[in-house]
Amino acid sequence: MNLALRLGAVLFLLAVWQVVAWLKIWPPVFVPEPVAVWDQLLRTSTEGYSGYTLAGHLLASLRRIVLGCLYGIGGGIVLGLLIGVVPVLRTLLNPLVTFVRTLPPLAYLSLLVIWFGIGEEPKVWLLLLAALPPVAVATADAVRGVHDDYLNAARSLGARPWEIPYRVVLPSALPEIVTGVRVAVGVAYTTVVAAETVNGVPGIGGMVRDAQRYNQTDVVVLGIIVIGLSGLLIDYLLQTLDRRLVPWRGRHI
Amino acid sequence: MPSPDPRADQTPGSAVVEATEPGPAAAPASGPATGLAAIELRGVTRVYRDRPALGPIDLVIPAGEFLTVVGPSGCGKSTLLSLVAGFAPPTAGTVLADGAPVSGPGPSRGVVFQQPRLFPWLSVSGNIAFGLRRSPKAARKERVAELLAMTGLEGAARLKPYELSGGMRQRAAIARALAPRPKVLLMDEPFGALDAFTRERMQEEIRELWRDTGVTVLFITHDVTEATTLGTRVIALAGPPGRITLDARVGGDLREKVETAIRDAASARAGAAG
Repeated sequence: MNLALRLGAVLFLLAVWQVVAWLKIWPPVFVPEPVAVWDQLLRTSTEGYSGYTLAGHLLASLRRIVLGCLYGIGGGIVLGLLIGVVPVLRTLLNPLVTFVRTLPPLAYLSLLVIWFGIGEEPKVWLLLLAALPPVAVATADAVRGVHDDYLNAARSLGARPWEIPYRVVLPSALPEIVTGVRVAVGVAYTTVVAAETVNGVPGIGGMVRDAQRYNQTDVVVLGIIVIGLSGLLIDYLLQTLDRRLVPWRGRHI
Repeated sequence: MPSPDPRADQTPGSAVVEATEPGPAAAPASGPATGLAAIELRGVTRVYRDRPALGPIDLVIPAGEFLTVVGPSGCGKSTLLSLVAGFAPPTAGTVLADGAPVSGPGPSRGVVFQQPRLFPWLSVSGNIAFGLRRSPKAARKERVAELLAMTGLEGAARLKPYELSGGMRQRAAIARALAPRPKVLLMDEPFGALDAFTRERMQEEIRELWRDTGVTVLFITHDVTEATTLGTRVIALAGPPGRITLDARVGGDLREKVETAIRDAASARAGAAG
């Protein structure tokens, strides 16, 4: 039932799109026909675009996202744990993390290009910097929110001070950390297109940018749809991970 | 309600009420010599955020006793427990466990909180085994099985805390606290969040556990009936700052005495405030 409703909505949108294209209110360079986009899907998948197939572009972008997120999430958890546990570091690092978090990634892309050139490094760094703050903030908040009873229970059961962070604090904070990870991956996903505005081929953002230069609107629209759909898939995977990692989320204990 | 069920060396129903008169400096309980005390508090006070929360308290808890501490909310009962547990240091005075000063929490004093506070990422077995990490694997497994049997949780070993009922959770929390064989079990209103039926059953079970294990119990409650039916000795606390207004062995008209002591303290406070 739900699936039918969603499928119906998609079909309806496609129909509206087709009708608008047929009416020729705007030239095809503004509103390409769905069929043209479908043709581009087939062509870019087989012949490729800008020297790479659609899958090649997508894989290059996904690789950047995965690398940037892995570094960003790892760094964010460590940083968040430090901020949450050590008061001095909280005072020192909290404003910095908040500062970076409020910056739009494009603002520091130029700096990263100056530092790291136009290869893979600045792109992965950009995604790292985009993914790190949400995880760090979520971890820091969660770590500070762990109820004293849990820490006291662990100490009464003979846990040593250095065991507490990884045996009790991190697992207690896991629900919030996983939420932070979902936000981080989302941010990284929206940032990858920006990262690929400089020498972004292969990459789905680079493909869209090349197509824009040559007014190939059907390729641009195809790129947008592929980005959206793969984003949905990744979020679905993250939701599954969430259920696996924190089955106790939302349950009163 | 379970009837008071004192150990063999205490004559049942002998109505031994050795209630000390309420006074500013409550006399130490007439317990055995200090050498046998599981817990001893000497002139202990606790000031929290510039406000006196507890004391001065002098108290000797002989090994093997089931001591209940009863008093209204905010009178300092939980403060007393956290000092004995080592969660907070006393502002003045000394807390001794087995004759040695308490400097922090440790496995010789197991704690059961009002909320079970089980680790939700561990199974029931995993929670019970938390305090046994430094034991050899075989011994650990054996001890976990023993505690599961003792608390009637054999069938729940692999379940996660959120899959248990309230009573089962609290049983698992008790099993977890008993796992490292503590000399003293500290319980902070452990049955306060349970429904009436479960609470009654748990009260019977904790008496059985106490009898079977020989552990010394310090049990905090605001329920006078619970205090007088469970304990072999009852302390009434009034405050803040929490002071001992009654220290009595169970038997006879103890319940009335406890109620009177609490009422008197409350009206004295109201009079002082008005």
